[in-house]
Amino acid sequence: MSTHEHDRSPHDRGPRDRGPRDLSPHSRAATFTCVRCGLTLNEAAPDGARRDHCPSCLHSRHLTDHVDGGPSDCGGRMVPISVAVPRGGDWRVIHRCVRCDELTSTPIRGDDNQLVLMRLAVRPLAQPPFPLEAFGDL
Amino acid sequence: MPRRSVRGGRRPQRAKPVREHRGEGVRGGAFRCVGCRLDVPFDAPGTAHRNHCPHCLASLHVDLRVPGDRAADCRGRMAPLSMSARPDGEWLVIHHCLACGDLSANRIAGDDNALALLRLAVRPLSDPTVPVRALMSL
Repeated sequence: MSTHEHDRSPHDRGPRDRGPRDLSPHSRAATFTCVRCGLTLNEAAPDGARRDHCPSCLHSRHLTDHVDGGPSDCGGRMVPISVAVPRGGDWRVIHRCVRCDELTSTPIRGDDNQLVLMRLAVRPLAQPPFPLEAFGDL
Repeated sequence: MPRRSVRGGRRPQRAKPVREHRGEGVRGGAFRCVGCRLDVPFDAPGTAHRNHCPHCLASLHVDLRVPGDRAADCRGRMAPLSMSARPDGEWLVIHHCLACGDLSANRIAGDDNALALLRLAVRPLSDPTVPVRALMSL
């Protein structure tokens, strides 16, 4: 468990407001490494908000417990499984933890890879459970 | 991209214990949908767990971890949020609890309303924001 504690240092700090005002000068310079593609990332996105997934592969880590809001002791890799479009709001990425199957939704950031986002959004349409040709007659 | 073959390595569905459906609002093997008040029978083609209304895709937050365990004490209405696809192409509806904000993923059933499913799946494409424009610029 000691290595576990070691490699989650800057990214894990309890429940917090994810707005720009929350970032102290120290955490503005903090970085973390993507668990999937190994990219070293600044924790602050260009729009000032705190980043919780990799902008290039959209993967994340399960560090916040979404039931009681505190830090989670799972630390598993979170895979993006879907894109949600709330009415009149920004897009959100739905993540699933590969270790404990927890689902979370986080807003997309301005520098997220838009082609990867679109690929995630149209993935259900690549293999529809019913023929889509019938919808042309409607 | 060519369509992936379904006949290839299709993972068999994980064995889950099927619980008896008893409790409030249950009579004669049917329940009434919280969204559209349709009487829905528990028997669904293609799945052993009917967990959302086949007409409006709304659900009720009654299960916690295992489908059918009836362990959640929230009982809030769950609205369909987005569509996801498993690697084998099977569609999952992501539900979002309007009372406690929890997320859950449910497999679609054989008698689900195809138009409602498709509306959910193409919702990201109908949103004229940045990611769609990124595709157009290719």
